[in-house]
Amino acid sequence: MIRLNSSIKFYSSVGLLFVAVFTMTLSSFEKAPDKNGTLRIIFINTANGKPVILRDSLYVNAFGEQYSISKLKYYISNVLIPGSGQLPENDSYHLLNAAEANNNFELSLKEGAYNAIQFLLGVDSLRNCTGAQTGGLDPTNDMFWTWNSGYVMFKLEGTSSSSAADLQRIEHHIGGYKGDNIVAKLIHLNFPATQLLQIKEGGTTQLTIELNLDNYWKNAVEIKISETPLCMSTGILAKKMASNFPGLFSVKSIQSKP
Amino acid sequence: MLFSALKDDGYGAYAPDPLFLKIPPGWPKPATNIFAKNKLTEQGFQLGKKLFFDGRLSKDNETSCASCHQQFASFSTYDHDLSHGVHNSFSTRNAPALVNLAWMTSLHWDGGVNHIEVQPLAPITATNEMGEQLDSILIKLKKDTVYSRMFKAAFGDPQINSQRMLKALAQYTGSLVSSNSKYDKVKRGEASFNAYEQNGYEVFKARCTGCHKEPLFTDNSFRNNGFALNRFKDIGRQQITNNKKDSLKFKVPTLRNVQVSFPYMHDGHVFSLYQVMEHYRAGIIITQPTLDSSLKNRIPMTNKEKNDVVYFLYTLTDSSFLKDARFAPEQIVMRKYSN
Repeated sequence: MIRLNSSIKFYSSVGLLFVAVFTMTLSSFEKAPDKNGTLRIIFINTANGKPVILRDSLYVNAFGEQYSISKLKYYISNVLIPGSGQLPENDSYHLLNAAEANNNFELSLKEGAYNAIQFLLGVDSLRNCTGAQTGGLDPTNDMFWTWNSGYVMFKLEGTSSSSAADLQRIEHHIGGYKGDNIVAKLIHLNFPATQLLQIKEGGTTQLTIELNLDNYWKNAVEIKISETPLCMSTGILAKKMASNFPGLFSVKSIQSKP
Repeated sequence: MLFSALKDDGYGAYAPDPLFLKIPPGWPKPATNIFAKNKLTEQGFQLGKKLFFDGRLSKDNETSCASCHQQFASFSTYDHDLSHGVHNSFSTRNAPALVNLAWMTSLHWDGGVNHIEVQPLAPITATNEMGEQLDSILIKLKKDTVYSRMFKAAFGDPQINSQRMLKALAQYTGSLVSSNSKYDKVKRGEASFNAYEQNGYEVFKARCTGCHKEPLFTDNSFRNNGFALNRFKDIGRQQITNNKKDSLKFKVPTLRNVQVSFPYMHDGHVFSLYQVMEHYRAGIIITQPTLDSSLKNRIPMTNKEKNDVVYFLYTLTDSSFLKDARFAPEQIVMRKYSN
């Protein structure tokens, strides 16, 4: 990178960049339309190797603490398939909710074989402070803090005999988008070399990503229900809990359908 | 446009009249353009106004935004330390005046709200304010074809959702600009201060503008001005930042229309401007660790200076704003026995 000495230089560089992007956009219009296929991304939630079923099963974390789950909701945004030449999805914020039957969304992707996927667990900082939103970010989804603006990025509620909180509650509303309090995490998952993500024109490829709650309690840090039954505001605790986020996800399967 | 004109949904054509937020002469540009992604139109403004005065935004269908934000009090609650919410409840903070919001960098006494569009979510859902759920409000609004018509006129189709409701409210509240007080007229050369006001202005410029910066009479900062922790244990800004250094800090309020926005401070416990002045002169608790550095020695004032500053503050009353029919409801809405 050239060191920019003056704002004029800076703006002219930005100008050049715009021209470059514009030209690229133009040339992409001139080309024959891309051959696109569909990538369907499915999120499944598991604990103790079993699918998470709300208000039903009991699970045990790494510290022997039993718990049940009544709510599990989280945002997935800024999905990017490296090598596809496509920018992260624009304006797409997917609210995954274990209470819903279909926890999936679809992207249109250029034909090809890809070796990784990247996404943000959470909502980027900019979108946390740009006013009233709709779709997955609609405040009616009960994922927006009204008294201290910002999205709850990950919400887990349930009960546990290890919880000393009222009604033996577990209530984890993890959010924060400013400076030291940012909890959103960029997740990068590689596909095995033997099983790349194949996208064929007109076909649908199904990518299943597993969120393993076992790693929610113990991974980079230890989160014991006995010590932390509640986390409902931004700050040091939320940030600590979010440091387990990157370990939550793994690629479960890739299936191509013609 | 053509397509929507051809498609008849029974709510008339979509032909919004654009409006522009006028920046009064000599004022700075707002830090952010609140209408950049919310195109200000006459139809959006009118919809926002109707929503602002509509009690259906609350649990008891009677407590509207305007219940606690009264125009004649510069959109604060006149003569109330704390405002009344649904079911005979009290809020724990004094309703701030809604004036010149486009120039505010954050909202609420603690600055917890980061955008004008999402502000209404807080009072609407707080159980001691409007106590309602967004879903329920949308159901109520969808039952009223007047709203379908107005949402179409404002946004191009009759769909009613929370985003549109909040954007319309922001068009109304963001348009509440007060810039025609005697002070403004003096600045424009259309009037002059009397001797008391002029002396008060000189004292004010020397000792108060460090926080109450002209022409908005706030610098949008958060400061501890030396009151004791109140009975609600309200730590102010610290609640938002989790930083002990922000303990007891509250947003510096604008002083525009301060004469009619009494009582004062975040919990409304100071009833008159003379008591406010007396606090700054002699009442500040100077031992507080987070006290604003500019108040360490309190603000020395003679009795005459104190009185004259109050005379000056009265020149910030903008009666044309307080009586502006454009901001008033179209008609008195009685809704008690409907629904």
